[in-house]
Amino acid sequence: MNVLKFIRYYLMTNLIGKPYLKRQRKIGERKIEKITGENSPLNPPLKITAYTKEFVSSHYFKGRYIEGVKPVAWVTSGAPIEILKALGFFLIYPENHAALCGARRVQMDLIKTAQKQGLSQNVCSYVRTDIGSLLSGKTPAGKLPKPDLLVACSNICQTVLHWYRMLQEYLNIPLVIIDTPFVYRDIEPHQVDYVKKQLKNVLLPIAERAAGKSLKEKDLKEVIKFSKDATELWLEILNLCAKRPSPLTVFDQFVFMAPIVEMRGDRETVDFYNTMYKEVKFRVNSGIGAIKKEKRRLLWDNLPIWFKMRELALKLAEKGINIPISTYTYAWGELAPLMDLNKDEFEVMARVYLSPILNRGAGHKLKTMADMVKRFNLDGVILHSDRSCKPYSMGQMDQRNKLIEEFSIPAMLLEADQNDENAYSEEQTVIRIESFFEMLGVSNG
Amino acid sequence: MLKVQGRIETIQKFKAKGGKIIGVAPYHYPKAIFRAFNILPVEIWGPPKLNTLESKAHIQTYICSVVHSILTYHLKKNLDICDMFLIPHTCDSLQGLGSIFLDFVKPKQKVFTFYTPRGRRSVDIDFITKEIEKIYNMLSELTGQKPSYKELKKHIEIEEKANLVLKKLLDQRLYLDIDDYKFYSLIRTKEYLPAEEFIEIAKDIYLMYKKDSKIEKTPVIISGLLAEPMEIFKVINQKNGIVAGDDLAITGRRLYPPSEGNNPFNRLAKSIINSPPDPSRGDSVDFRVKRLLEIAKKTNAKGVIFYIVTFCEQEYFYIPHIRKRLRENGIKSILIDTDINQELSQQAITRLEVFMETLQ
Repeated sequence: MNVLKFIRYYLMTNLIGKPYLKRQRKIGERKIEKITGENSPLNPPLKITAYTKEFVSSHYFKGRYIEGVKPVAWVTSGAPIEILKALGFFLIYPENHAALCGARRVQMDLIKTAQKQGLSQNVCSYVRTDIGSLLSGKTPAGKLPKPDLLVACSNICQTVLHWYRMLQEYLNIPLVIIDTPFVYRDIEPHQVDYVKKQLKNVLLPIAERAAGKSLKEKDLKEVIKFSKDATELWLEILNLCAKRPSPLTVFDQFVFMAPIVEMRGDRETVDFYNTMYKEVKFRVNSGIGAIKKEKRRLLWDNLPIWFKMRELALKLAEKGINIPISTYTYAWGELAPLMDLNKDEFEVMARVYLSPILNRGAGHKLKTMADMVKRFNLDGVILHSDRSCKPYSMGQMDQRNKLIEEFSIPAMLLEADQNDENAYSEEQTVIRIESFFEMLGVSNG
Repeated sequence: MLKVQGRIETIQKFKAKGGKIIGVAPYHYPKAIFRAFNILPVEIWGPPKLNTLESKAHIQTYICSVVHSILTYHLKKNLDICDMFLIPHTCDSLQGLGSIFLDFVKPKQKVFTFYTPRGRRSVDIDFITKEIEKIYNMLSELTGQKPSYKELKKHIEIEEKANLVLKKLLDQRLYLDIDDYKFYSLIRTKEYLPAEEFIEIAKDIYLMYKKDSKIEKTPVIISGLLAEPMEIFKVINQKNGIVAGDDLAITGRRLYPPSEGNNPFNRLAKSIINSPPDPSRGDSVDFRVKRLLEIAKKTNAKGVIFYIVTFCEQEYFYIPHIRKRLRENGIKSILIDTDINQELSQQAITRLEVFMETLQ
């Protein structure tokens, strides 16, 4: 660790960053009080909303000054980060950063930059956003720390392998690939063994070398416990949305999921979700829904359309439509039961990281969706056919048909993209949504 | 021209002798294992020029035309001649196809999947060894047979020989006086012919067309999944060019080197793992560029044609970096997007013609 850099890090994060972000939170809280008035179809957001922004922003703020203080790794969202956290790594998730760019609507310039350098428009828009940011140096997060290590886990898609190969090409640093075989049916012993060996024999030695220290078992156990606790809390929060009216919309969940994705394994993340759980529980007990008049409840399948979140949230809420759950947000909670603290940590991590919904067959996702329709009392389904996410989108047509068949509910395929506005048509989307409203029995008038 | 047996004829002959057919999607898989069970793998890379209306009821338009063709062909019942299917996990789209076959379309035939590791480490060899053994066990259960290690070894060796003869043909391409269209039509019979029959075809190609000196044409390298539409060869040849180097998944990237060892599954595993660099395996830019430069040096090729099926992400990713590195080494390149179900566009033809002219 570089002492001067540590001093700068400490001063910037504690003397400047913390007070600044706290002040921003107060401003945010006052804004929230004004936003939702009589005319809004939305009830006031959770009090923790402003703190969420502070919490996530503080992570990125620390990232600006972390080089030379802690080892840095850029990782995929499904990467087995517990080993890295236990070794003291500071983590950046390029996918989350790309999503942040989309939500802040700064992604299109970054996408153009990447495409100008020859990256095809048929490549995932997260990748184009991320590479565009890397090449231009532009980011709404201020500055991303240069990594010492790249870790890509194939349990969300094969795209990440190629993406991280590109990052390796640009950054010239070690890349560890954790290859998780796709699970068409059930997880098999040789698959668990394969992932376990990669964690122990590939990731661990390289990460220890990069961190300059050996992994302590007690540190790993602690991080896994924090991961488990936070994941369980997130799951409980989502399950509360089965109540009528749902205390959250999926658009709220897309924002609140940030800590579980990018700060999993931290004690503070557990505290965050604890606080959030209490507030959500209070709303459930008081009958306060996320929207004022909940008439219909839907399931959202796939990633969000990051650049259209607010508009979609309002448009649906105006018709009394709430989306209490999505396969995407639930994916960050449903693995909690697999995190058995009494078993060998590497075996547990191997099973957990083989199990995400994106690493399972289309039939498994259909079962998950069917279960959600029943448990959350849903009246319909929106399947976002995300052009950039083939693993999520393939199979949706059959899934839609099966859901309609089994539950006699309307299910709509909405063609768009998570980040690329060129793959989104406002008019087409409006027409489709309005037809969907008719099918749901909520008038357009 | 050499007369070769077509797919249907091959399948019918094989079945008539009591054998079975497995339809195989692209692209890495342990061929020898199936042959040991008297099952002939017949690869399905399309077919091309298909109207894929049926597949659009199941998969989106932004999935590649190869996957659309395979699914459409199945839905039109053209694959009913197969006794079983194998869908290797090559990419996100084929992953999805495997899932759709298993969970939704559900053909009456048994569907196998096969996962090729995204690495060349010893852990990857261990894994794929077990994955191959799993296929063996599943076939045993299905057929009631249990081919011995000796039987397996026999089939491994014949497949290795077939790979070596194909390698020889590709290495000696500049000495074979046969146009590219005919050449690729012949070597692509390896997708369905039994290895022993392909070896005879390869020998005949070599004897019939071998010249003592190099063919005096402008050599180029072709890179991508497969050369469809095959009209590209006519365009290249019309401009006095010749495809001297092959970096295609369908041919050159599957030149599995022979391996050794008493465990046949491990032997096959090592062979697949040590295949030429390949984006579906997540290989590095460096590894891929080195191979292309090696081919360029051997063949004196001054240009690479990246012939990429639209929506094939794994090919697209690496193009900017590879092209830059080739340029730094004095090798020109061009990217042509294709759809295997469409004709080669006039725009693409013009671009190719100009490209060939710049190499002369």
